[in-house]
Amino acid sequence: MKRKKLAIAALAASLAVGTLAAQPAKAASTSLAIGSVLDIDKLDPHTATNFATVRALGLVYSSLIEVGPANKLKTGLATAWQFSADGKTLRLTLREGVKFHDGSTFDAVDAKASLERILDPKTTAAARANISTITSISASGRYLTLNLSVSNIPILAALDGVNMAMLSSTDIAAGKVGGTNKPNGTGAYKFESWEPTQSVKLSANPTYWMGEPKISDITIRVIPNEASILSAMNAGTIQFGIISDPLIAKQVNTRKLKLYKTPALAYYALQLNNKVAPFNDKNVRLAVQCALDRQEVVNTAMLGQGAISGPITSPAYRSSTTARPCPKADLAKAKAYLTASGKTDVTFKALVTSTGWATSVAMAQNIKAQLAKAGITMELDITDQATYVPRWLAGDFVATLANNGGRIDPDTMYTRYFTSTGNLNKVATYASSTLDANFLKGKSSAKSSVRAEAYTAISKELEDNAVWVWIATPFEYRVADKNLKNFTALTTGSLLPLRSASLG
Amino acid sequence: MNKRLPSTVFFTRLASVITTLFGISIFVFIVLRVIPGDSITGSLGIETGALTPEQIESLRAYYGIDKSLFGQYFSWMGSFLTGDFGFAYSNGVSVLELTKSALPVTIQLALFGTIFGVILGISVGMFSASKPGSVRDFAGQFFGLLALAVPGFVLATTLVTVMANVFGYFPNGFEYMSPWEDPWMNFQQMMFPSLVLGIAVAAPVMRTTRSALLETVDKDFIRTAHGKGVKHRVVQFKHVLRNSLIPIVTMTGIQFGYLLGGAVITEKIFAMPGMGRQILDAINKREYATVQSSVMIFAIMFVLINLITDIIYRRIDPRIK
Repeated sequence: MKRKKLAIAALAASLAVGTLAAQPAKAASTSLAIGSVLDIDKLDPHTATNFATVRALGLVYSSLIEVGPANKLKTGLATAWQFSADGKTLRLTLREGVKFHDGSTFDAVDAKASLERILDPKTTAAARANISTITSISASGRYLTLNLSVSNIPILAALDGVNMAMLSSTDIAAGKVGGTNKPNGTGAYKFESWEPTQSVKLSANPTYWMGEPKISDITIRVIPNEASILSAMNAGTIQFGIISDPLIAKQVNTRKLKLYKTPALAYYALQLNNKVAPFNDKNVRLAVQCALDRQEVVNTAMLGQGAISGPITSPAYRSSTTARPCPKADLAKAKAYLTASGKTDVTFKALVTSTGWATSVAMAQNIKAQLAKAGITMELDITDQATYVPRWLAGDFVATLANNGGRIDPDTMYTRYFTSTGNLNKVATYASSTLDANFLKGKSSAKSSVRAEAYTAISKELEDNAVWVWIATPFEYRVADKNLKNFTALTTGSLLPLRSASLG
Repeated sequence: MNKRLPSTVFFTRLASVITTLFGISIFVFIVLRVIPGDSITGSLGIETGALTPEQIESLRAYYGIDKSLFGQYFSWMGSFLTGDFGFAYSNGVSVLELTKSALPVTIQLALFGTIFGVILGISVGMFSASKPGSVRDFAGQFFGLLALAVPGFVLATTLVTVMANVFGYFPNGFEYMSPWEDPWMNFQQMMFPSLVLGIAVAAPVMRTTRSALLETVDKDFIRTAHGKGVKHRVVQFKHVLRNSLIPIVTMTGIQFGYLLGGAVITEKIFAMPGMGRQILDAINKREYATVQSSVMIFAIMFVLINLITDIIYRRIDPRIK
């Protein structure tokens, strides 16, 4: 009887050990498996807004201009550019010998057709507003000329990214973009397949204009939980992970894995609705600004994983965090502002998304506790992201804690919010003639000193009026196998640097 | 008259099932339209703010939400009844295609979890009931309480973290393999999520088994069997367990139904591309056809499970007609 039991125990143990030992071989050294919480949701680069789609298609398509390390503009499919003296004409010289994945050659006609497709309202292109100052486009040989309605220097930065992908004019004419059509770009990787909810497969483009990438194939695998992504990295079943939760990032064992941490362009802000009570009173808004210790929010809710920020996060024109009425929390000043407003009891509801980002509710709870010390009651109206978005778009809030995307140029970042004709001005709830004038000044000048002056003035006006309370920028995390070489993390979150990376 | 009785029962039951399913379809359809947001905001998020009214109209037509509510309902119902279940815009395929790959994963997971849970639950229940009030009974009940109290996501996360960090083992990090593509890999990928789900099933099955056995063991026919000199083990399995099976089968059916619809968290943590994830993603993206069709599939499965449970009752106890 004892022997029988021992035999059963031995069988069970050998099965367990066998299972552990029988884990399939890890991917070949030139293959990279990436873990992503999100799946892609479409194959049309011009209408892509989902982060996962933008990241995956960014490897398949190229744009005329790119944002490189240190957020500097660099050549993409355009090798040179020149503005006319009045800044209303931009002439781009296109790269020669570039081929689409189907073997056809890229030229100025393709570039013209691509930009016209973005400008066509029927396309519902995500970045149409950023290039809407283009009035006409002409293509001649290697040259593409954009005629603009106003002087628009930031349009260069707007030509970067997946939403500005260059497509084949033949595909556009045949309606073969998006839907179930296989993406045909000029990017570093060819699109191979998409298994919805499971994975996207890409293979290296041997005719890529920067040379064939060393990583031969990439699989972006959907692992809908960041803790599981980290576990898969620890087990070596994937070699690259995209993480946003600081709590998970803190658990990365840097002896086994590489952690790339870059300050994001996105920012967290307590958006105040300037059009409704109590925030139609500037003194109440200032009281909120002064009652808030931003560093405490970063230290507690964001686990120290962020940097205090002002309105503009674009690296070249970043807002000073000390040039604001209350650079640090000042309860006495907050109470003085409340007294000036004539209100002794301020209560408001803040719309908060529970699923928008990992630290949202923790941040809201911390802000609530801090404001209570100044006699301001913030009630939390917590909802899921899909419910939050339409309410945010409609300006249906008194205050809301937001995680808004940033851009490398303040013009594309804020024109849509804070100019009187901006399409998100209803959400921003504030506009003024001075802001309009300064945005125009920043847009029209090629001189960085003039632009810096304009954006400093914009930042000052937004802070002095406590239009919103800007809090901090989070970090972008990329976790990689120790064998990944020559990868540089970009603030834009793009995976494009993988084209120069290698494994082993 | 008597001969017609079973068919009357059948048709009454069929009518009640159809009414229930119709009610569910209406309820889900309305709930989805009442909550804020639509397929456009679900897909584009805050970028919806950059669209012109013409662009929004064009997208409304694309998603089919420009039609009246009646139009939308009947259009979807038509798709559902003809078997394509509507179109999942964010996945670029029909809901049928999505379901064809997700449903087998969920059914396999629920089946494995239930089998594991039933074996564990009945074993611990019998062990516990074999000596009421003893240390073994206390141990069994403690297990039941623990399995009920520990949330599945805690168990799943702990299991994943320990296996990956200590043993470097996490088969779910690889691409999902169906049993037809790679049975061994599929087994490994199913093993841990089934264990997590199985423990959750084991707790109520164990408690039900224990109380059912204790009730049966005092019956006269059990004393008679013992008096006739039938072996203790035979009495336990052939007489006590068999006559206690009705509540255990009922509980198992309920738990299996819950697993089919409620394994969302486990599917997320173990990266299993099942129905739970499909429906959760679809709710977040306001993919109406996907949510409505998935809920209907769950509802139909619940009905089928009830039917199968009824059939099993009749097999266990011939007195049930």
